[in-house]
Amino acid sequence: MRDATASAPGLYLHVPFCSSICPYCDFSVMHAASPARERFASRLVAEVSLAAPAWRDPRPFDTVYFGGGTPSQLPPEDLGRVLEACRTHLAFVPAPWIFLEANPEDVTPEACAAWRGLGVRTLSLGVQSFADEALRFLGRRHTGRQARAAVETALAAGFDTVSIDLMFGLRGQTAEDWQLELATAVSLGPQHLSCYQLTIHPRTRFGVQAKHGQLSELPEDDQATLFELTHRFLADAGWPAYEVSNFARGQVHQSRHNRKYWDHTPYLGLGPSAHSLAASESSPARRWWNERGTPRWEKRLAAGERPIEAEENLGPQDLAAESLLLGLRTTAGVDLDGLRERYGIDLLAANDTLVGRLVDEGRIVVSADAEGGRWLVPTLSGLAVADGLAAAFDLSLPN
Amino acid sequence: MNHIRNFCIIAHIDHGKSTLADRLIQRCGGVEDRDFRDQILDSMDLERERGITIKANTVTLPYTAKDGKTYELNLIDTPGHVDFSHEVRRSLMSCEGALLVVDASQGVEAQTVANLYLAMEFGLTIVPVINKIDLPSADIDRVMEEIDRDLGLDPFESVQVSAKKGIGIDDLLEAIVAKLPPPKGDPQAPLKALLFDAQYDAYRGAVLLVRLFDGTLKVPTRVRLMHSDAEHKVEEVGNQTLKRVPVPELSAGEVGYVLAGMKSLAGLAIGDTLTEADRPAAEPVPGYREAKPVVFSSIYPMATDDYEDLTKALEKLKLNDASLIYEKDASAALGFGFRCGFLGLLHLDVVQARLEREYDLSLILSAPSVRYRIVLNNDKEVWIDNPTFYPDPMSIKEAYEPYIKAAIMTPERYLGAVMELCRERRGVDTTYSFLAAGRMEVTSQLPLAEVLFDFYDRLKSITQGYGSFDYEMLDYRLGDMVKVDILVNSEKVDALSQLVHREFSRARALRYCERLAKKIPRQQFKIAIQGAIGGQIIARSTINPFRKDVTAKCYGGDISRKRKLLEKQKEGKKKMKMVGNVEIPQSAFVSVLKTEDDDDEE
Repeated sequence: MRDATASAPGLYLHVPFCSSICPYCDFSVMHAASPARERFASRLVAEVSLAAPAWRDPRPFDTVYFGGGTPSQLPPEDLGRVLEACRTHLAFVPAPWIFLEANPEDVTPEACAAWRGLGVRTLSLGVQSFADEALRFLGRRHTGRQARAAVETALAAGFDTVSIDLMFGLRGQTAEDWQLELATAVSLGPQHLSCYQLTIHPRTRFGVQAKHGQLSELPEDDQATLFELTHRFLADAGWPAYEVSNFARGQVHQSRHNRKYWDHTPYLGLGPSAHSLAASESSPARRWWNERGTPRWEKRLAAGERPIEAEENLGPQDLAAESLLLGLRTTAGVDLDGLRERYGIDLLAANDTLVGRLVDEGRIVVSADAEGGRWLVPTLSGLAVADGLAAAFDLSLPN
Repeated sequence: MNHIRNFCIIAHIDHGKSTLADRLIQRCGGVEDRDFRDQILDSMDLERERGITIKANTVTLPYTAKDGKTYELNLIDTPGHVDFSHEVRRSLMSCEGALLVVDASQGVEAQTVANLYLAMEFGLTIVPVINKIDLPSADIDRVMEEIDRDLGLDPFESVQVSAKKGIGIDDLLEAIVAKLPPPKGDPQAPLKALLFDAQYDAYRGAVLLVRLFDGTLKVPTRVRLMHSDAEHKVEEVGNQTLKRVPVPELSAGEVGYVLAGMKSLAGLAIGDTLTEADRPAAEPVPGYREAKPVVFSSIYPMATDDYEDLTKALEKLKLNDASLIYEKDASAALGFGFRCGFLGLLHLDVVQARLEREYDLSLILSAPSVRYRIVLNNDKEVWIDNPTFYPDPMSIKEAYEPYIKAAIMTPERYLGAVMELCRERRGVDTTYSFLAAGRMEVTSQLPLAEVLFDFYDRLKSITQGYGSFDYEMLDYRLGDMVKVDILVNSEKVDALSQLVHREFSRARALRYCERLAKKIPRQQFKIAIQGAIGGQIIARSTINPFRKDVTAKCYGGDISRKRKLLEKQKEGKKKMKMVGNVEIPQSAFVSVLKTEDDDDEE
């Protein structure tokens, strides 16, 4: 991906509340019944006012992403208050692209109208599955029928992009079951799909079950089969991948917010656990992140402090490593000229025999774009092993 | 001479040899329990300094028996590995008797039998000692029955002790005096003293431990080492108690130490005979073998940074191990190291153990090799002990390999398996004879190269631990050797090249390939591991690449963690050796180069 430190920054707002906590989820979440939800918008507004003066990037934000958690669990008025505060303290382009994550059970024509009124352009639905059995396994509150209805409602409401999250690699799920899920999703006609393989994180209910041998991730060969099936099926259907887990019906529907994470475009994250990156041509890059737990995040804000847990400075070596690992996760690939211009790294020259082997193995191709720029592009089987690929390259900076 | 008893303690590992030795020292030394502990510690420090921690000390113990007479009891150390060492034989040769320790609950074990055979070979008088009688699990009746049945010794001659609790030690000391014969010898005859051990002292240089068979030894006699033909002036003689105690003279039958101004152990050969330069003995003590390296291996530090430490460790080791030879070596895969020559497999083991334990080094040893004699087409003769320098096969007229005469002791019931093992290993003239009831000796002429590769482990395994093995070098014979190279993605791993008999080349290559395939982690591309003779591939094994390792999500909060994980992975890779773009962990080399047959273990 072309490094885009020159393009407009994005704003991320983390809403940690969920109607129930899913057994696979390791995000910063908390139960929606918590009294913290009442106070949440006020606290977030407070954080906006504290964070804004420290955000030195003069460029206007062109995306706002409400993520979670389940941002749809926050009343539209609260979302509006937060956006209002953001507009007061931060600079935006005239019509920033606003993303909202929502649970199917929260999607009604009225809610959609309210969100549309706030300027939401992408509604991202946490469908996960259209099969009731799979939904029960995942601890979701909605049914397959509700999921379908929610997608239809969202599409009818006129969002620029409706996105569906799906999960594969579930216990008892066959390749046929998964293909049926994909077919269902495609038949509904959303503009964007995110397909995540179930990952078992240690500090989750699934993690505990896995520790006791009651649950496991799929064997590697099955993972690979489903991964390839997903990419082939969706490409054929007209939703080509642009990242490991993300598929869009045309470039305009690709997540312009998430892409900022992958090409080092600056982003400001507010809310519990949110990460931020400041980078410009003139100063070294810095990443910081908020207190992960909502109580601590609240406490710091109540004390009038910014709720930052830690930060790191990113040297050229760090940025180069990230460019490689993030680029290899995208279908655009790694910007070889960018690596050379910014960090002085000639990736191909420093890894010529490795590149040869990987090309022979069908993992990567080296290609040129319209302007003659060179890219290291992962193939489908390369995308599937992007983590290992990133580790295989020698990225030493020239002395 | 009647007041002298020279003996050793032989035991299966863990049956309490060193505890029993400590107890005897403590009783005869007349020291308090509290002081004793301190002294042992001192002696261990001293040992560490001298670099002989794997050995117990040889000590002289004064003992006043119930008959009122004071005896000089010489407890002679036998090195830990009794199985086929020249040194053990020298030690046993210095004794008239042996205490054979049997654990009261474990009973007679394989090693007990092997040790007994060896002691009997030297005509030693054996006193069985049943140790650990204080344990609740002790079954003395059963053990006595086993001593009778399995060892053919009179169980009623045995002494029951608990070395740990100090029970029965007096009875044992009386038994040593009463049952073990005193040495024989003529103090008036020309000096004939066996050098059975030598130690290195940081301050005094070489300390020679000797057993006098004839004559006397005192300051300032000029002594001559009969085999190495070197002469030295005696500066001090004495007994080794817990410390060295000088005495005016040592006489026939006695055991003691000699200092003769030697700075290091270089040039000293265990088994050599000391005699007077002016009045030499007619014959040296029999059984001497010249210490010549016959086994070669390259030693590399596991971490390249440790090369300096390895260099220093070898220099120090050489001070007290004259038979160790080494020179610089380098491998593309393993970096700098040393090509070393050893007296045999045990010596190799001991050197490796000492480098690892005393100098705290982690090492990789290349496959042991013998020294081949190669006659080239131009009739020039070269000696090759390192596969790296093996000449182009086209230029070789004839190749000769060393043969040994192996003597294998085994209970009769394993005879068939032992004969088969010898046959498998290209043994010729394999014969057997009965030594005693149920005990056989198999002799076979074997190529030494075939003994280097897990022969001993196989022997132990097929005889369930009862087989023992000794060998002597025989001669060089025409052989059909090939150099087998191991290739990883078509690139040669030099440290894994080896010289093998053509008949075994395919099997050996396949085994290496398979072991490597098990230990090399999968990568993003297919890895071909091949065994080759020149350009011909004779074995192959493949490691399939990863198919899926990418994590599903990577957004704002995941990137730092992913980068750090990547850095950690890269750090791990730095410890690996790169061959043909494949990262090979050190453990893969260790696993492949290990000679034991542990394929079933994992």
